[in-house]
Amino acid sequence: MKRFYLIGFLCLMASDTLAQICFKFAGTAAEPLAFDVDWVLRIATSPWSYGAMVGYLCSFVSWMTLLRYAPIGPAFAASHLELVTVTIFSVWLFHEPLTLSKMAGGLLIVLGVLCLAKGESVVGEEHGQDAAQGESRA
Amino acid sequence: MTALAVFLWMLNMSMDTFGHLAFKAAAGHGLDLDAFSHWKHMARSPWLWAGVICYTGEFFVWAAFLSQVPLAAGVMLGSINIVVLMIAGRLVFKECLTAWRMAGMLLITAGVILVGLGV
Repeated sequence: MKRFYLIGFLCLMASDTLAQICFKFAGTAAEPLAFDVDWVLRIATSPWSYGAMVGYLCSFVSWMTLLRYAPIGPAFAASHLELVTVTIFSVWLFHEPLTLSKMAGGLLIVLGVLCLAKGESVVGEEHGQDAAQGESRA
Repeated sequence: MTALAVFLWMLNMSMDTFGHLAFKAAAGHGLDLDAFSHWKHMARSPWLWAGVICYTGEFFVWAAFLSQVPLAAGVMLGSINIVVLMIAGRLVFKECLTAWRMAGMLLITAGVILVGLGV
């Protein structure tokens, strides 16, 4: 079961990260940004947009598979940790600087997501929907 | 951040929140039905289609937004959607805001402000 969670979370993170990177490439390739049909068509016909769709699709499938067995709290937190991987890739692929405000802000956001996840675990226990029950259905 | 980037950010936030609320509104009815009937029920709900249209538009708005800001900052700024959605859930569906949820919302908001100031 541990290996299932690990692979599930990695798939989720990888597909979310892929989607965001593709979005960035699609947006950049479609520049200059204009509120017209041409720009919408540039996005709609960009191969990067299809990459983003594939990323979202894989993310959806991993998320739904994960939710069948994993408790919602930790799963929710893991689903938002792509923030960390996206930041790493943004430095590597787009040469974005790792500023202090970005690192501190990102850390606060991750801590906040962890609090929300903790909150959902607490609510889940009150309703008797904890991990044990999730696993018994599996 | 340019005014255009802020506009796209706000637009994405509104569309994302509305889309989620619309899906919740579509999914919350007919829960006594079996799974297949529930899906049929949802497919007839205008809320479901409002949500689908919203998400399709959001796809383009997000690409536009990311073309205006660095990727990492854009994804971090997008985290504010979680907070706005929780407030909307409270207002529209009377969902409760526990202490853990409040703490999480405050931390995320503080983080987004910090990232936003640096962009």
